[in-house]
Amino acid sequence: MNKIFLVYKQMEVTYENLINDINAKETYQHYIFVNDNNPYSIFLSIIHSLLYKYPIEILDGDFSDIELEEIGVNKTALSDSKSIERLLTINDFNVLLDKISENEDWSLSLYTSGTTGRPKKVTHTFQSLTRNVKTGDKFSDNIWAFAYNPTHIAGLQVFFQSLMNQNTIVYAFNDQLTNLSNLIEEYNITNISATSTYYRNVLPYLKDREYDSIKRITFGGEKYDPSIEDKLKTIFPNVKIRNIYASTEAGSLFVAKGEKFIVPHTIKGLVKINENNELLIHQSLLGKSNSFTFEGNWFNTGDLVEFIDNIHFKFISRNSDMINVGGYKVNPLEVENTLINVEGVIDLVVKSKKNKVTGEILVADVVKGDNYNDMELKKSIKQYGAKHLQEWKIPRIIKFVNEIPKSRTGKKVRK
Amino acid sequence: MINKVANIINEMLEETGQDKVENFDPSMSLRDELNLDSLMLAELTVRLEDEFGVDIFEDGVVRTLGEVIAKLEGK
Repeated sequence: MNKIFLVYKQMEVTYENLINDINAKETYQHYIFVNDNNPYSIFLSIIHSLLYKYPIEILDGDFSDIELEEIGVNKTALSDSKSIERLLTINDFNVLLDKISENEDWSLSLYTSGTTGRPKKVTHTFQSLTRNVKTGDKFSDNIWAFAYNPTHIAGLQVFFQSLMNQNTIVYAFNDQLTNLSNLIEEYNITNISATSTYYRNVLPYLKDREYDSIKRITFGGEKYDPSIEDKLKTIFPNVKIRNIYASTEAGSLFVAKGEKFIVPHTIKGLVKINENNELLIHQSLLGKSNSFTFEGNWFNTGDLVEFIDNIHFKFISRNSDMINVGGYKVNPLEVENTLINVEGVIDLVVKSKKNKVTGEILVADVVKGDNYNDMELKKSIKQYGAKHLQEWKIPRIIKFVNEIPKSRTGKKVRK
Repeated sequence: MINKVANIINEMLEETGQDKVENFDPSMSLRDELNLDSLMLAELTVRLEDEFGVDIFEDGVVRTLGEVIAKLEGK
């Protein structure tokens, strides 16, 4: 029980601390909305909800009031809290795990970029979230570098994989990125799961060294970048590298060595491609959402793939309606619908610009009103964006143009 | 060259309402001293590529302002 559950900045929380905090928590909230996305508060709330079997909704701690309104969450409801009627006392981690596995009435909802331009809610069961969690002796000594937003699907996958094996999670995200080298040494980290963007950005801080403790590196959340694989193998001589395809809609689905994905036999027949080479997923593999549209029983991911044989396939391109900024999916329509409200903006189109740091970033072409100063208007747009949108949804480079090209069907051209 | 890059960084800072940097030095670390996070580094690399046609992150590792300039000058 003295094993460490989580390292977060200067704080070490043992499994004993975790269980004490769970036992002491007498109230609960339906919404998990933690201002600084503090992973301990989020993980504690998730485990508590599993123990007492109440549904939860996870919101990003940096959602603005407008974003909350957009997704239909009443701000006053965020702080509604209820008392637990019959308190349980947990003395042992295995008892906690047993209780967690009785989870029929539990669900977890989270939000992802929707095709209509507003985020959609997806509700998962314990089964859909933990479909690819592996447990057993082989996994019991893993120590994870945690490099995702804890409110997003990839972060939840790592959390459950670690929790179900009583592993240690070492938070290495955001301001801890430049500290990864020290964290690996201090805690003997064995596994890292992160986006291509994370690896590209952390590489300069790992230069000129070898780290023997790392056994496994996983790429997720973003298209895999094969150009970093050799560099990672030099720095981590004992590593095996895997690439995971997961989505907020379906959780974790496929694993690949390199770029060749395998359809596991457990979901064979539940994945197919249509005549446009788009990847379709059977609805039984998805969480629940009112915003899903199905073609028969199939959900169209919008990702283009090429099957190599019956069970192996490669991605040709990811869903072209969405822009992936360092692992965060953005629907450009949502950004346009927000920024059109800035005084001086007559029309705009939000597009992607590729780069080697975050894969893609957002840029905007803007048609402005007469008598608006370029720099002042850029400042207003970015300021308005910062108030109403999460950081990665704000266009970084703004250009002023005379008109926005439209296709024959009247759609804005995003190329 | 350092002045051109400095102007681009200051333009980025000005657009986001942040204070400009007065004195640039090649030894300055992009992340720790100029406080550029991943999104700002991504923005910088795109702006520099637009201006100079060079992708500073093409083959990996750039930590300091001096290393950026070396890439742009093709060293």
